[in-house]
This record gives sequence, C-alpha cells and structure tokens, in this order.
Amino acid sequence: MTSKIINMAEKLKDAEDRMLESMFAAEPVADDGFSSRVITKIRRRIWVRRLALPIAMVVGGAIAIKPASQVVIAATKLLTIVPQDVVVAPAEWLPQVQNIAVSGSFMQTALYGVLLLAVGLLGAKMLTE
Amino acid sequence: MEVHGAVTIAQPAAARDDQYLVALAVGSQDTAAFGELIRRHQSQVRNFLRKLTAGSTAEADDLAQECFLHAWDKLQTYSGRGSFIGWLLKVAYTTFLQSKRKSKRYAEVLDEAGHVADLESRSYTQDSEDVSDLEKLLAVLTDEERAIMVMSYACGLSHREIGEATGLPVGTVKSVIFRGKEKIRNRFDIKDHQHG
Repeated sequence: MTSKIINMAEKLKDAEDRMLESMFAAEPVADDGFSSRVITKIRRRIWVRRLALPIAMVVGGAIAIKPASQVVIAATKLLTIVPQDVVVAPAEWLPQVQNIAVSGSFMQTALYGVLLLAVGLLGAKMLTE
Repeated sequence: MEVHGAVTIAQPAAARDDQYLVALAVGSQDTAAFGELIRRHQSQVRNFLRKLTAGSTAEADDLAQECFLHAWDKLQTYSGRGSFIGWLLKVAYTTFLQSKRKSKRYAEVLDEAGHVADLESRSYTQDSEDVSDLEKLLAVLTDEERAIMVMSYACGLSHREIGEATGLPVGTVKSVIFRGKEKIRNRFDIKDHQHG
C-alpha cells in the first residue's frame, strides 16, 4: 500500500518535471554493430579463460619438472647416505632424519608448486583483462 | 526452434523477457541471449554514458563496451528483483566512476612527473558557444547529481531503482534530485512551477 502511494506520488509530475524530461530526452542510438563487437569480445574472453588454466598448468609443469625431479633425487640420495644408527637410535625423542628429509623435500616441491600456480593464475587474470 | 544446450526455446528472441534471457545467459553461458540483452539496452546505456561524459561519443562507447563486459562477468549477481536496465545502469555508473578515478590518478602521476595533464577526461563547460542546452544544464551539476538526474529524467527509473543503482537511500535520491532542480532553476532563472 505504502509503495503504491509512493509510486503514485512519483507519477504526479509537474510542468517542470515534464520540461526536464523533454530536455533530457535523446534520440535512440543505432546499434551499428556495437552488440556484435561486445559479443565477439565476450566469446574471446570465454576462450581465453578456458585455455588459460590448462596452458598455465602445462607451462608450469614443463618448468617444474626438472627442479622437482632434482628434489626427489636429492632426497633419495640423502636417505641412503644417512647412517642407519642415526635414523633409528634417537627415535623416542627426535623426529627421524628420514622424516625431516622427506617432509622438507615435499615442502619444497609444494612451495614451488604453489608459486607456479600463483604465477599461472596471475598470468591468466592478466590475459583475461 | 532454437536449442541452447539443455534448454529448448520455442519463443522468438524478442518475445522473451529480460529475466528469462539473463537466466539463459547465466545458466548455460549463452552469449546469444546476452547479445539480445545488449541489443535491447545498448541505446539507453550509451545515451546515459554520453550524458555523463560531456557528450563524448567515443569515450562513452568505450565505457559502454566495458560496462557490458563487466555486466557479463557479474550477471549472476543480478537478483531479478529490480528492472534489468536499472541494474545495467548501476554497472555503467560504476564503470564511469572507475574510469574517472583512473584518469584522475593518471593525471596526478603525470602532474608529479612534471607533465601537463591534458589527458583528463572532458568536463562540461557552461561558457562555450557550441554546447547544447542540455550540456549547459548538466554543467551546473556534480557527477552524482548528473547521474541521478539522467537516470530519473532520461531513463525513467523510479527513485527506488535509482537508489539501488547508486547505492543511496531513496530519501537521499529525492533530495539530490531536488537539489539538482534547484541548481538548474537558479542558474537558468526558471520559474518554479510548483510554487508559482
């Protein structure tokens, strides 16, 4: 009810309102290919977005494969070098050296992956903008 | 009969209402449905932006293009409660304000670097000979007043819709319109029709 009254009040226009309306009135703007240009841009954006992530993953993977394999190899070597008594003896009060080495290498690879993903996402965002 | 993904449309495009087309565009990323929405509303959006950019057709059309790209990205945020053109003008107004902020910042950077900032967007002038009556009229208003007056008198939005578009309470919209009318009245010596 209240909104109806407000709408009615809005519709009660005086001569000044009508004059302003006629002054503000403008000829309709012809489309002239405007909508097709926008739609073309939107379709291009959709494609860029669809392709950006897989491309970023492939590029990131290609860059990361070498250092990641080096990390894995280094960790395996470290595990074989560490003397068996160091690994087993202080097991009750120290985390095992093997665990530290493996966790460290995982952490390094994960950080590297996160970094690459962030770079990839940033690149994708820049491409779409 | 058109088939868009899983949705089958029997009606011709022109007969479908805006909300249906929005649902289609959001639900199945249907660019054809969004294209129809652009065709329907481009004139109002471009006219709105032309009035905000002091009649600069090229700048307004660039902004309109950007506005529709933003609208596509944010289409899922349109709740369907108000009119679609109201929501679209909100996006257009935000795009205009962002562009204005950007050009202002750019001008400041140039200024700091000792360059003459001639890249700032055009502004309305009252004194020039070759400006239209409407441009003279709009020159006395601030950006906010201009946007609200244009939404009200050129686009025919209700006060509630303008409030939603600008993020202002309805009472503030009314007082901005009142203030705008006062300014125009005083500047152009127009007789107050309401009070004689």
